[in-house]
Amino acid sequence: MTDQLVRCEDLTRAFGAVTAVRDVSCAVLAGERIALTGPSGSGKSTLLHLMAGLETPTGGGVEWPVLGGHPHGRPGLVGVVFQGSSLLPALDVTENVALPLLFAGVPASEATARAVEALERLRIADMGSKLPEELSGGQAQRVAVARVLAARPPLILADEPTGQLDHEAGGLVISVLIEAADELGAALVISTHDGAVADRLNQRWTMLDGRLTTENGSSR
Amino acid sequence: MMLTWLRGLLRRRAARLTAVAAGIAVSVALLASLGAFLAQSRATMTQRAAAGVPVDWQVQVSGNADPSAILATVSAAAGVRTALPVGFGQTSGLSTSGVTVQTTGPGVVLGVPDGYIRAFPGEVRSLAGAADGVLLAQQTAANLHARPGDMVTIGRSGLSPVQVRIDGVIDLPQADSLFQKVGAPAGSQPVAPPDNVLLLAQARWHQIFDPLAALRPDLVTTQIHVAHSHRLPADPAEAFTAITGAAHNLEAQTAGGGVVGDNLGAVLDAARQDAAYAQVLFLFLGLPGAILAGLLTAAVTGAGASRRRREQALLRTRGASNRQLMRLAGLEAAVVGIGGSIAGLAGAALVGRLAFGSARFGSTTASTTGWITAAVLTGLVIAAATVLIPARRDMRDSTVAAGRLVVGRAGSPWWIRYGLDVVLLVLSGLIFSVTGRNGYQLVLAPEGVPTISVSYWAFAGPALLWAGAGLLAWRLSDMLLGRGRRLVGAGLRPLAGGLSATVAGSMARQRRPLARAIVLVALAVSFAASTATFNDTYGHQAEADAQLTNGADVTVTTSPGVSKGPGDAAAIAALPGVRAVEPVQHRFAYVGADLQDLYGVRPSTITRATALQDAYFTGGTAAQLTRVLAAKPDSILVSAETVKDFQLHPGDLLNLRLQDSRTKQFKIVPFHYAGVVKEFPTAPKDSFFVANASYVAQRTGSDAVGSFLIDTGGQDIAAVADRIRAKLGPSATVTDLATTRKVVGSSLTAVDLAGLTRVELAFALLLAAASGGLVLALGLAERRRTFAIATALGATGRQLRAFVFSEALVLTVGGLIAGTITGWLLSEMLVKVLTGVFDPPPSALSVPWPYLLAVGVITVAALAGVASVAVRLARRPAISVLREL
Amino acid sequence: MTAALEAHSLYRFFRAGEEETLALQGVSLSVDAGELVAVTGPSGSGKSTLLSCLAGLDEPDGGSVRIAGARISHQPEPLRARLRARHIGVLFQSANLFEHLTVEQNIGLSRGIAGRNGRTPVADLIESVGLSARAHAHPSELSGGEAARAGLAVALANDPVVLLADEPTGELDSVTESQILELLQVRAQVGVAMLIASHSPAVAAIADRVIRLIDGKVAA
Repeated sequence: MTDQLVRCEDLTRAFGAVTAVRDVSCAVLAGERIALTGPSGSGKSTLLHLMAGLETPTGGGVEWPVLGGHPHGRPGLVGVVFQGSSLLPALDVTENVALPLLFAGVPASEATARAVEALERLRIADMGSKLPEELSGGQAQRVAVARVLAARPPLILADEPTGQLDHEAGGLVISVLIEAADELGAALVISTHDGAVADRLNQRWTMLDGRLTTENGSSR
Repeated sequence: MMLTWLRGLLRRRAARLTAVAAGIAVSVALLASLGAFLAQSRATMTQRAAAGVPVDWQVQVSGNADPSAILATVSAAAGVRTALPVGFGQTSGLSTSGVTVQTTGPGVVLGVPDGYIRAFPGEVRSLAGAADGVLLAQQTAANLHARPGDMVTIGRSGLSPVQVRIDGVIDLPQADSLFQKVGAPAGSQPVAPPDNVLLLAQARWHQIFDPLAALRPDLVTTQIHVAHSHRLPADPAEAFTAITGAAHNLEAQTAGGGVVGDNLGAVLDAARQDAAYAQVLFLFLGLPGAILAGLLTAAVTGAGASRRRREQALLRTRGASNRQLMRLAGLEAAVVGIGGSIAGLAGAALVGRLAFGSARFGSTTASTTGWITAAVLTGLVIAAATVLIPARRDMRDSTVAAGRLVVGRAGSPWWIRYGLDVVLLVLSGLIFSVTGRNGYQLVLAPEGVPTISVSYWAFAGPALLWAGAGLLAWRLSDMLLGRGRRLVGAGLRPLAGGLSATVAGSMARQRRPLARAIVLVALAVSFAASTATFNDTYGHQAEADAQLTNGADVTVTTSPGVSKGPGDAAAIAALPGVRAVEPVQHRFAYVGADLQDLYGVRPSTITRATALQDAYFTGGTAAQLTRVLAAKPDSILVSAETVKDFQLHPGDLLNLRLQDSRTKQFKIVPFHYAGVVKEFPTAPKDSFFVANASYVAQRTGSDAVGSFLIDTGGQDIAAVADRIRAKLGPSATVTDLATTRKVVGSSLTAVDLAGLTRVELAFALLLAAASGGLVLALGLAERRRTFAIATALGATGRQLRAFVFSEALVLTVGGLIAGTITGWLLSEMLVKVLTGVFDPPPSALSVPWPYLLAVGVITVAALAGVASVAVRLARRPAISVLREL
Repeated sequence: MTAALEAHSLYRFFRAGEEETLALQGVSLSVDAGELVAVTGPSGSGKSTLLSCLAGLDEPDGGSVRIAGARISHQPEPLRARLRARHIGVLFQSANLFEHLTVEQNIGLSRGIAGRNGRTPVADLIESVGLSARAHAHPSELSGGEAARAGLAVALANDPVVLLADEPTGELDSVTESQILELLQVRAQVGVAMLIASHSPAVAAIADRVIRLIDGKVAA
């Protein structure tokens, strides 16, 4: 139990009449590689947001035993990669990557150093002073991964990271995500509706109409 | 198709459309309010000018014309309310034979009919004795030492003199116009009124002068004095044209028998010049406000630029031609323009009603239509400029593909490369110095020319200064935010802590809209500051003008024949409300053959009761010259004309002849020339002297005081005046500043600025606050997204606030500093360029600190308020935005 | 029989300062009525530029484009606009509708621009894409799938001869994607010529022909 990075128990999240997540119970252990699949509207995004602590459940609960409590306000515990462009348009790539560290209170010089290091690890250091609008979709997503990498979290959640990219770019982003997770020894959960992407990860969870089915065939 | 589009816009984009319409409404309202004010002030000017004329027309019966026939013609003329004949008889001299025989030089005897004084009360002021019968002018009475009851002999050239008994002593306040040379060519030197004047009843006058007329017709003439009905058009220029036309008409009707001395026309002429000045003045101060509102509107529409571009791209994809695109843009412009204009006109009508009590937009139908048209046109132009021009530009520039992106990094604007800001500032300086060379004459009314021309060219100076300063502020802001971002970061450390470098970086990439915002705030603040400073200086000078005429808060003038000394001041000083009393001597002195007024003052204490402005003197400041009068008691200040006539140099000896109270004879009193005095409290418009009272008293053996100047501290002036009146009775005439303020006539300083000032300053304040808050409020959608991402990345509320408040801080500091400096320069220039408006011209700016402080506080408050609201609004829907990511 | 869409030797260059991009280098293609052609290729291969030139939104530097036999390239702007309004429907990946108008009003606007009433009543057109219940909704209220259908309805508003689509299913999950593709096939059967640029294998699967674009050239 105590090696669970995040645990959901009978988790429910309703928005008025619509229930996005229904009685979900699951847990993510260190080092796991999980693909969360399902049609759009099945609640994958909401589940990831709940696991990241970005949303509050309307029923049941989420806990982070290993992380020591709710990750809100404590960057460096859960790293999130979003589907769309999530870089701040007015900051360059290095500043964007360093941003979560700065929010956490890391001194500016150290934050910048770690950002540069993360960019180098993913072999995109040459983009350091570009602005987000000058990057292609794939490049922007790789910067988002670098942003996660710089904070060195033990849990990485990616919400449809390749949704708006073509196959080649998408494949590159997934590679980089797996590489980052390997570097950090972090657990990785990627939600996707692309079967090819799901095949690259060793576990597959399925969501349908708000209910979760893990690989064992039942909700855990 | 267009209707569907419009309906959609109105339903879903109502907020944005309303904001644009509001900006347009402000411009339209400001211009229309100006129109309302001008209407009011023009009408007041006309009325006041006409009311101040004692005799509207003086028709000189010329040559062999029959006075009674002329009288009949005049009485029958349209618009003539009263026409009375006045006889002018030249006398070879007046003399008394009392204790001593006094004789005067040649003078004039007037024959006035019954009811003259009732019909023209401004011409004759009774000072002593009876109010009708044989009346002797004050100065003549002084010369002759005559009093009511004495006998005076009227000399007649070629005939035996006639004796009459004096019934009363009078003052002729309008002597200049009463004795004008009617029909003199324009531009000729005004003739000084005769020193010796006697008034007789008409019958008596005929008895004495008809024989002289038979003998010497050149010495006896008749004038018909006319009071006009004063049903004049409200506009001074129109009134002027009407009256001068009527005067010419009358002359034609008399077939040359009568020449009209048009006093009313002259006064209306001055009034129409003042009206032109008023128009200039209010355009000068109000037009920038309208422009500013236009700029704000542009900022609002500019914020939606990327969305507009995307829409245009999609429309083109659906097959819309350029013409269809322009039609749709035109529809939006029309809705916003018309809606804004109507709202603006309604607002102006409301403002007009609140401020002036009426909702007129112009003094005549023509000017009303003119103002409304101009205001609406401006609204439509702004709508077109802010909606259509960007649409047109987008059509030419972008491909559809580019339109579907959110366009980003832009280079520096073209004008920075060409240094347009420096060019404008240099041009402004050049124009300013060129205008200065002809003494800043803005309104030109050459003699004899019926129209007035206004030199609008002089506006270019301040306008270019405003524009150039704005551009310079943009350049400097751009430099500071861009290249100086490290400095900015350092400055923001207390606010943003470890994020300061990031915040500075973020602002550096958004420096174009930020610099634009700083410029807007600077322009608004400078507009408010310069308008308020100008108004304040103006008000200050108006006060000085009234003070100059009245002398002090309350002035007590001794009645002739009554003798008061400095000791009487104590009685007045004891009254409640009186803070200081200063006695001023009023004597007459001969310099050469010329008789002038002489005022004796106590130089060390005179300023206790009245303010002496530097502009009153030449050859030293007020302080310097009063010191000289105190240190060297035989110093004297003279008029410029006297200096010229006698070729005086400082320190030159000037001998005057003053009346010795002991011998009643005029004796020589030596003075030394110390400086030129142009204006002095209670002094008349022509030449006069100012000297040291104790010296004069010593030399003439009399310390008799002509008037007491009283300072009440500005409180309860009317009440104090009443008290003094009650105390002194008929021994003195009491006038107060409050009454004078309303009466001071022909100059613009009398125009009541209160309504306009309130309107303009309110608008300026509104614009300053709006420009500050508006720019922060725009871009809310983008801010929401940024905040959502930042929150997801772990930002605390305090860190989010740091971003917004840093922007607000930079805007505030940059805008206020640039605005203050520009406002100060603009004020100085405006006051110089509009010198003609002031009477007397100011020596320094009068700064309204409370208002300026209010502007600063409100701007800061608006920025802080909007920043807080922006933070709150941007944080709330974070989750729904996350869903879109 | 003339092809519904014919492009002959299209060249398109972009110059940005020192750099010159050769977006299209001699691309020729033709699509007959009722044909469904897929254009695939990595991002940056020139797919979007090709579609812009085919729709007459961008002028090629060389070559010509004909719609139902009428030349649309190198014509005055008003003529191009009219041809586009009446004969070409364009479907993008997103933002196909005006935010401030309902689905119904969007279709009406397209018809108003073309100056025609259209053969099918608006209600029928909306029903044919399965959006009868959402005819009066605004774009912000629509789900991803509904927005794609609405976009299709707008593109077909004026019964175009040619339908050009740029990644129409990019943001959709596989279930919704197949629904949209089904609608496209139905339309093709009615006689609309279709050219769909997409990197989705599902699109390639239903296409009659696949054109592969690499570096601005048609691959052999």
